[in-house]
Amino acid sequence: MALLTVEGITKRFGGLLAVHDLSLSVEPGQIVALIGPNGAGKTTAFNVISGFYKPDAGRIVFDGRDISGLRPDEICKLGLTRTFQVVRPFRGISVLDNVMVGAYARTGDGRAARATAQEALSFLGMLPMADHLASDLPIGGRKRLEITRALATGPRLLLLDETMAGLRPAETDEVIRMVRKISERGIGILLVEHVMRVVMSLAERVVVLHHGEKLAEGTPESIVQDPRVIEAYLGEAHVTG
Amino acid sequence: MSAQSQVLGVKKPARSWLRGLLLDWERTQLVITFTLMLLVAVIGLLFPSPYVLGILILATLYAYIGITWNIVAGFAGQLLIAHVIFLGIGAYTTIVLNDNFGISPWLGIPAAGLVAGLLGLLVAAVTLRYGLKADYFALFTIALLVSLRTLFLKWQFVGGALGLWLQLGNTGWGNMIFATKGPYLIIALALLAFGVIVQYRIYLSKMGKYLLAIREDEAAAAALGVNTSLYKTLAVVTGAAMAGIGGGFYVMYVAFVEPPQVFDLGFNVEIVMASPIIGGLGSLAGPILGAFVNKPLAELIRGMLAAQTSGTTLIIYGSFLVLSIMFMPRGLAGVVHSLYLRLARRWAGDGTGGS
Repeated sequence: MALLTVEGITKRFGGLLAVHDLSLSVEPGQIVALIGPNGAGKTTAFNVISGFYKPDAGRIVFDGRDISGLRPDEICKLGLTRTFQVVRPFRGISVLDNVMVGAYARTGDGRAARATAQEALSFLGMLPMADHLASDLPIGGRKRLEITRALATGPRLLLLDETMAGLRPAETDEVIRMVRKISERGIGILLVEHVMRVVMSLAERVVVLHHGEKLAEGTPESIVQDPRVIEAYLGEAHVTG
Repeated sequence: MSAQSQVLGVKKPARSWLRGLLLDWERTQLVITFTLMLLVAVIGLLFPSPYVLGILILATLYAYIGITWNIVAGFAGQLLIAHVIFLGIGAYTTIVLNDNFGISPWLGIPAAGLVAGLLGLLVAAVTLRYGLKADYFALFTIALLVSLRTLFLKWQFVGGALGLWLQLGNTGWGNMIFATKGPYLIIALALLAFGVIVQYRIYLSKMGKYLLAIREDEAAAAALGVNTSLYKTLAVVTGAAMAGIGGGFYVMYVAFVEPPQVFDLGFNVEIVMASPIIGGLGSLAGPILGAFVNKPLAELIRGMLAAQTSGTTLIIYGSFLVLSIMFMPRGLAGVVHSLYLRLARRWAGDGTGGS
């Protein structure tokens, strides 16, 4: 059985149909990419799955349990954690403390939380930065902090929202390695991504959203050859770089 | 690893207990706090005049009340502007229990904490239910202050506009009524020690990390499993209950309470907000550092300018607050922290050079 099954979710904002009848699934350890032109509804879909918005229709089943309508913190405790497109570090506290906030999702004990946080930091090569203030990190570091913090909550599924946006190529490669390492632990990953190089190198399956609806689904190779996708998205993306 | 790393968080094994104590900013703040409290006690012993003791008692109480607001506004970042309502409710609870029911303040003060805590729960529940955040939350608490002032002015059972005088029984520890001011200072210092320890424990606990996370970014905190409603409520209730306890002691000390005195924004600025803001909102030592500057300074200005046109005192005092916010945005604790970082770097460099 799939780890995450999204069944026909719909989200409306007034007259705007942001997401319409979207279904997808993610298996443990699998990397699935959600792509689509700007405004296609990717981030809205993330917000619905992670509990920030309530779906107007459809349901979300995580690990056999219907999680539609639960709060984000409840969903996180069940093992589904998200990151944000615009990174949101806790600026005024140290990197270690940032990650400890995540680690406390599984324990009330400070020592255990610290150990979990340090383990997550070392797993993703962030340990040297542990004592810096989060606000002192460069953008690449903040993106990695966002992932490390999410990993410290002990998830079985991670939702990564445009983690590579705004990164230099070397930084992008580093984050790609991080994501692959996490996936090798058996953690399922659903990512929204604009950088096609990332999608092609990471995703096993790609879901294409267009105007809030699923346009196509398949392997990265089949997606890039799909004429509907090329017309809706890739053509535009290729032109703009 | 650089010396900076030992300052912001991770504790490295220390060579001596003193080094271990002082290479940790949180513990250093605790040392600063207790040193200041010791200083207050010594000044009280050396100059036991009612005037000096009076200033020390109120400065100590300001520090304590500052801590209770620091937990809500400094740690959790909730703009609970009219925090003084909890002090007012606490003061009324203790004095009504004492005057109308003959209940000892040793029970009346904890009861004040309970009643203020319940009011805090109500404030948290209503604001969360209607999604009042930031400035709207602040405005709601100010509106509540005005409503409570009106309610207490009309409510005859609690003295109405005349207020309530403490019914004085026999002096002594049993009734918490003393002919001299020394014992009040002892109780105030004990109260502050309680506040300091509670604040320190919260800061280092899961709750403390969660409150800081909520202050920095509520949505990100929720995504990481923080039940933001629960922890905001916990912060408000804790701060409210502690302020209520402070109000209970306050009324035992001043022996009188009336609505315009406690349900007042000017009083709120002086007793609740000034100390943490001058001292450094969100830091551990801030409320204490601030209070021991705030109260004596306010007295000094009042003493020098009382003969002038009325209001001069407030203009000078207000200007001082504005200047301190402009030039010390992180407060006195921020200034001390910068000095501390410089010293710690040098010290750590001496001891662990080559490692």
